[in-house]
Amino acid sequence: MTRTILKNGRIICPAENLDIVGDVIIEKDKIAYVGEKQVASEKTNSIIDCDGLIIMPGAIDMRVQSADPGREHLESLSDLLTAAGNAGITQVISLPATSPVVDSAVMIDSLKLRASSYSGALFHSYGAMTQALDNKHMAELGMMAKAGAVGFANSLKSVGDTLLMRRIMTYAKMLNKPVIHHCSDPYLSNETDMNESETATRLGLIGGPGVAETIILERDLNLVALTGCRYHAPHISAASSVEALRRAKNYGLQVTADTSPAYFLLNDKAVGDYNTAFRLDPPLRDEKDRLAIIEAIEDGTIDVIASDHHPIEMDKKMLPFGQASAGASGVETLLPLAFSLHHTSNISLFRIINALTVAPAEATSLPIPKLAIGEQANITIINLSSSDVIRGANFMSQCQITPFEHYLIDSKVVGCFVNGISVMK
Amino acid sequence: MGKETPNENLTPVTAASLSKKHILGIENMPILEINALLERANYFANQPKATFSTILANYTVLNIFFENSTRTRVSFELAAKRLGASLLNISISGSSVKKGETLIDTATTLNAMRPDILVVRHHSSGAPLLLSQHVDAAVINAGDGRHEHPTQALLDALTIKRTLGRIAGLKIAICGDINNSRVARSNMYLLSALGADVRFVSPSTLVSPFFSDIGIPVFTDMEEGIAGCEIVMMLRLQTERMEGREAPSQREYFQLFGLDSYKLQKAAPDALIMHPGPMNRGVEIDSKIADDNNKSLISTQVELGVATRMACLEAIAGVKL
Repeated sequence: MTRTILKNGRIICPAENLDIVGDVIIEKDKIAYVGEKQVASEKTNSIIDCDGLIIMPGAIDMRVQSADPGREHLESLSDLLTAAGNAGITQVISLPATSPVVDSAVMIDSLKLRASSYSGALFHSYGAMTQALDNKHMAELGMMAKAGAVGFANSLKSVGDTLLMRRIMTYAKMLNKPVIHHCSDPYLSNETDMNESETATRLGLIGGPGVAETIILERDLNLVALTGCRYHAPHISAASSVEALRRAKNYGLQVTADTSPAYFLLNDKAVGDYNTAFRLDPPLRDEKDRLAIIEAIEDGTIDVIASDHHPIEMDKKMLPFGQASAGASGVETLLPLAFSLHHTSNISLFRIINALTVAPAEATSLPIPKLAIGEQANITIINLSSSDVIRGANFMSQCQITPFEHYLIDSKVVGCFVNGISVMK
Repeated sequence: MGKETPNENLTPVTAASLSKKHILGIENMPILEINALLERANYFANQPKATFSTILANYTVLNIFFENSTRTRVSFELAAKRLGASLLNISISGSSVKKGETLIDTATTLNAMRPDILVVRHHSSGAPLLLSQHVDAAVINAGDGRHEHPTQALLDALTIKRTLGRIAGLKIAICGDINNSRVARSNMYLLSALGADVRFVSPSTLVSPFFSDIGIPVFTDMEEGIAGCEIVMMLRLQTERMEGREAPSQREYFQLFGLDSYKLQKAAPDALIMHPGPMNRGVEIDSKIADDNNKSLISTQVELGVATRMACLEAIAGVKL
C-alpha cells in the first residue's frame, strides 16, 4: 500500500472549518489522517516536507473549454488534463463548445471514457443547453444528465429567446441540474471589439457596454424566480451584474456566479496597444468594474474563481484587434492569480480556497472537496512566498497566449495529488 | 383482467336529463347529470344491435369541425344515425374560414338553416361557448383547443367503470402533454368528481405548476408518477413539440416519459392502459403495450365512444324539448 505523508504544512479546509499546522497522510487513493499531531514515518513511501506551505483540498476549475474534440492540434484533452494537474487543479469541468458540440449523451460518454484513461486532473463535462449550440432548440438535457453532465451551458452567444430560456430552465429544474449561461445581450454586444470606454473611443474600436451582460443576467434572474431553476452566472465582468447578483441572492434565489482572474486583476486600459492577448469575452472592463468584482469575491456575491481557459490558435490572434478571436489560456495561471488577491486585496485564504474548492463543487453538485479521513485524496499544495513571472512560453499547454504575460506572481503550486497520485510533472 | 365485463342488466334506463341546454364541458356539470349520462351510455352500450332510431327522428345534427378529426367525427356521426337523426358533416377548415368569415358569421349562417344540435370542434379554447351564444341550436363541444373534450372524458369514465366496476378510489395517472390537452382537463374534472385519485405526469415544460393549485398533483418523474396506479392514461404528444422547443427530441421523450414495459412495472400489478388516440407509437407508448389486449383499453374506448355520444345527443335533445 502506498503511503505518503505531507508533513508539517498549514492545512486549510473551508468545508471542515479547519486551519491548523500539521500532517496529512495519503494511503492509496484516500486521506488516512489529517491532524496537528506529528505522525510516525515508518512504512511510508514518501514524506513531503510542507513546512511553510499551504495544504488545501484539490482545486476545481469549473470553467474550462477543451479544444478537443475538433481542435486537438491546439490542445488535446490529454494535454489539458496534464497541464491542469500540473497547475494544482484536480478537477476540471469542460464547456460544450467543441466540434462536434457536446450536445448528446454519446458525446458526454465518449469524453468521460477518454478522460478516464489520461493522467492529471479529473474530468467532468457540461452539456450544451441547445442543439449544436444553435440557441434555438433545446438539446437532450435528460439523456445528457443521465450520462453524467454536471450542468448545461451555452457558448459565448446568449440564448436571446426568452421563451426558450424559460423552457430550458424549467426542464433543467426537473433534472435538478444547474444552467450556466454566458450573458451578453445579442444586440448590444453584437460585433463589438471591447468594452465601451474612453480607451475604445481613442483606439477607434467598437465598444459594448457592461450592461450588455447585466441585461441578460437580470432577465435570467427573473426566469430563475419564475422557474425555480438552479442557475450559475459565469465570468462576471461588470459592476452592474454584481449588483444584480447581490439583489438576487438577498432575495433567496438559488444563484451562484464565477469570475476569472482577468476581471479582478486587469482593466480595459490594457488594450491600449491593440495587444490581442487582452481580447477576451466578456471584454476587460473599467477599473470601477474590477474593484466591484474584487468586493464581490470578498463578500461571496461571486462564489467561484474559475480560469475561463479558452485556447486560441496563434494565427487567430496575429490579426488586427477587431478581427482577432477572443480567449486565452488559463488553467496554468488560475491558482497563483487567485492567491494574489490575498496579498493585493487582503482577501482571506479561507475565502480564496473556498472559491476554488467548495463553491464550484456546490454550484455543480460535485462532492464537496474536503481534507478529512476517508475522503478521496485530491490535494493541492501551494507556496505563498515564491515570486515568479508568468511566461506563456513556459506553459505545458499548446496554447501559450495569456493576458498575464510578464505578470508578477507571489505564489506557486508545488504539489498536486489526484486520487492519491502526484500529478506534478 | 382487462376485458370489459358488460353489465347485462338491461333494465331500461331513462334518458339523462340535463339542466343546461349545451354540453360545453365537464367543469360545471353536476355529478347527478354525469352519472345519468354514464348510466344511459352504459344502457346503449349493452345493446349494440338494438334499434333506437325513433329517439332523434326529425332532428338535424350538424357536425361542424373547424379542426380535422376522424374518430370523434365518425363516432358522433354513428351515434346520431343510430338515434335516427339527419346528420350533415361540415368541415369548416377548408371553406368559409379561409374566405375570412368570423366564427359568429358562421354561426349566424348555420342558425338560419335551423339545425337542432351542433357538434362543434374548434382549435380555439372557448369557441363552442361563443358559438352557443349566437345560435338557437344546442351545442355539444367535441373538443375546443386546450380547454375541454367532455364526451371523451365521459367515454373514458364509462370504459373504466365497465372494466373495473368502479372509479371511486382508483389511482389514475394521466401522462404526457398536459398543457396542450383538452382530454386531460376534462378527465381531471370528471374522474376527480367520481372519486378517483387523479395525478398528472409530464415533463415540466408540458405541465403548468398551476395544476397543483387546481388540486391535481403533478409529477415530473414517470416512474414516481405512475407508481401504484391502476389506470395509466397516455396522451398524444404532437411531434413538432418535441423538436427542441417544449421537449428536446422524440427519443428523449420516449426514454423519460414513454410508457414501456419497464416503467409500467411501477404501476399497480394489473394496471390498465388508456389512450384517447391517435397514438404516436414509440414516442409516448411502446407498441407492445398499446397492442396488448390484456392491458390496453384503447379499442374499448373507441367502441364506447358511440354509446356515450348517443346518451349526450339524446339528453341534449331532451332539454330542447
